[in-house]
Amino acid sequence: MRVVVAEDLFLLRDGLTRLLSAHDFEIAAAVDTAPGLLCALLEHRPDIAVVDVRLPPAFADDGLQAALAARREVPGLPVLLLSQYVEQLYARELLADQAGAVGYLLKDRVFSDDQFVDAIRTVAAGGTVMDPEVVTKLLGRRSHDEPIARLSAREREVLGLMAEGRSNTAIAQRLFVTEKAVSKHTTSIFTKLGLAADQDDNRRVRAVLAYLNS
Amino acid sequence: MASRAGPGHDSSMWILITLLWRIMGRLLRRLGRGALLVPVAAMGMALAGVHIWTVALVLIALVVAFRKPLLAAALLPLSMVSAGLAGLVVAALTPGGTVGWVVNAVLAKPQAWFASPAKPGTLVHSGKVGSPVSWVVGGDGPVPWPPWVRLEVRPGKMAMLGQVLPVKPMVPPHAGHVIAMGATTKAAGWWQGRLLVPVALLLLTLGLWLASRMLAGLGARMAALLPELHRWLAKNRWALLLVPVVAVAMAAFGAHPWTIAVIIAAIIIVIRWPVIAADLVPVVLAVLAAYGFLIAANWQDAPAAIYPHAMPYGMVWVNGPKSALAAGAEASVFLAFGAWLVPRTIGAHLRTVFVRVPDTDLAGRVQRLTETRGHAVDAAAAELRRIERDLHDGAQARLVALGMNLRAVERVLPGSPNAALALVAEARESSVRALNELRNLIRGICPPVLADRGLGHAVQALALDTPLPTTLEIDLPGRPTPPVESACYFAVAEALANAVKHAGARSAQIRIRHAAGLLRIEVSDDGIGGADPALGTGLLGVERRLGTFDGILAVNSPPGGPTMVVMEVPCVLSSPKTSSC
Repeated sequence: MRVVVAEDLFLLRDGLTRLLSAHDFEIAAAVDTAPGLLCALLEHRPDIAVVDVRLPPAFADDGLQAALAARREVPGLPVLLLSQYVEQLYARELLADQAGAVGYLLKDRVFSDDQFVDAIRTVAAGGTVMDPEVVTKLLGRRSHDEPIARLSAREREVLGLMAEGRSNTAIAQRLFVTEKAVSKHTTSIFTKLGLAADQDDNRRVRAVLAYLNS
Repeated sequence: MASRAGPGHDSSMWILITLLWRIMGRLLRRLGRGALLVPVAAMGMALAGVHIWTVALVLIALVVAFRKPLLAAALLPLSMVSAGLAGLVVAALTPGGTVGWVVNAVLAKPQAWFASPAKPGTLVHSGKVGSPVSWVVGGDGPVPWPPWVRLEVRPGKMAMLGQVLPVKPMVPPHAGHVIAMGATTKAAGWWQGRLLVPVALLLLTLGLWLASRMLAGLGARMAALLPELHRWLAKNRWALLLVPVVAVAMAAFGAHPWTIAVIIAAIIIVIRWPVIAADLVPVVLAVLAAYGFLIAANWQDAPAAIYPHAMPYGMVWVNGPKSALAAGAEASVFLAFGAWLVPRTIGAHLRTVFVRVPDTDLAGRVQRLTETRGHAVDAAAAELRRIERDLHDGAQARLVALGMNLRAVERVLPGSPNAALALVAEARESSVRALNELRNLIRGICPPVLADRGLGHAVQALALDTPLPTTLEIDLPGRPTPPVESACYFAVAEALANAVKHAGARSAQIRIRHAAGLLRIEVSDDGIGGADPALGTGLLGVERRLGTFDGILAVNSPPGGPTMVVMEVPCVLSSPKTSSC
């Protein structure tokens, strides 16, 4: 799997490339600026981009802007954003094109490399991975969105874990229930959100999108 | 080469004409309507004759047209109206109803000699235009013209009636001691006589029309100036009196370059030094009154005892004993008015010089600045203390624990790798917590979205993070300065947090807009109300923080709700950052 890494701090860039190489990813390019990232993404068309939100030249949300620009050129280009902080505003902007294949994680999540690598694979496969912190804040919101409000507490919990990019198996482990129970919940969620059964993955992404945009 | 001379001459003429044409075109384009001031002034000069002061007026018109085209455009209608009125006055005052020309004044034979010396500029009485007349300098006789119309005769020069020419006696027995001489006049050419009134009326009409158009534009500008004008008038209303008072005083001497200069000087003093102008008003009134008393004292011989001929004194036309007494009465009024003005002008001025009256506006401003600066310094110090404490108790402590953990790992690794593994896991947990604490600390100092994208997006992000459905109306075409942005952000955050924590609101609304140099933020909720900045520290802190930028906070929160918090901060917006991707 070919990866473009964008991170301006040398130590972190180096650490990321080592980590990814150790997990058999091929580093197509490792860049340290937003314009460099845009060029690399359009040139290499990687299987996934791992991008720091804050990049030169402006040291604002340049990485996010470059990733969004690249996704406008190449719709659905898988992008996993890393940041010292997560903002719902940025999460929404990532999700806005409804194409999926996006992730948004705190940099700390890199510490548990297994989960991090799982997240990369999920995003590369077209899934959506949101940091638990984004999901936690969403759970605290009183939703006025009608379909989401109709979900039971357990179903919302399952949907939250889906938003974090977890598979049914992982959710079952986390909630100490059987995988069958989880799949029952997911079916119920899809029904309540009015998502027709097509490809399962796509439906998961759309359910997560509906949840995050509520 | 020689063959080129002819055509070369032609082409150089052509080039000159084109050049002039272009210069004229460019001038008109650059100067606009104001450039017309110069020909109008030149027409005025033609009417009044070539004198130092008329030439000076034309030169002033030129300078104004070039340097202050806007002022020239503003003066244009005024000058046209005055030129038109002047033309009408000249026509009305001309004996016989037509404009006359004095011709061959010097060639005419002197008819009478006076022993009294006469200087150029003295009054000349005249007969009917169109017939040979005697021009008598000095002496008595009927006065057909008001005193400001004078005639002086210069050898070999033609002059319009009412124009002043210096007398040069032809063959005076005693040099400078003439003077009466014969002169012939003739009616002006058909175009001067017939064109004067139509041209004057045309100028008047055009001038009035331009003035009406200008007044509309001026109205808008005046509206903007009005508060300033009000303030100026409140302070300097007596100064304005200087111009009419000086004009009245100068009217006694007639229209001379020096009297006009004195009036212009008075205008300049009023504009530049209004306080001095106000002080001068009673002084000039006193002098004027003394002059009036002098006229009245010599009432039996008035006005000859004071001045060689009839003259105006204020509203009185002094031409005999009765009017001289009336002038005396008027002088009393002037003096009384002057005395009444003394405490209001000179007295008030002296008080401000000798008694230091504190400027209440300035004192209030200083007090407010002192207060807000104190609050800003306190707030900054408190913020630093909080950051220091957070770092000390949080990240710093975690790093110490991390170091100790790693040291423990070093110790136990050779002996019991499993225990080491647990310690390493603990160390990793520790680092995650340290990062979390740092993240929260940074969010409290400078929220990332605020730094990245400014107030609008940051408030949007804040609304997303608030467990309360919040509607936003944000109209911010640019970004305020970072300190203002930060103060406003935390103000909104505080108001929103209150809505969640204390008001028990079900929904909130945030409006941000910037207009006329003022950033206005409204945060309203449908909660239980009862918020008071005086009770909680939160809103008070917000008020103080906004106060540093001359901003204000108003809370309208009746018990039972709803609550509306309005913040206004004067600030300018920078142009929006252009994103380059």
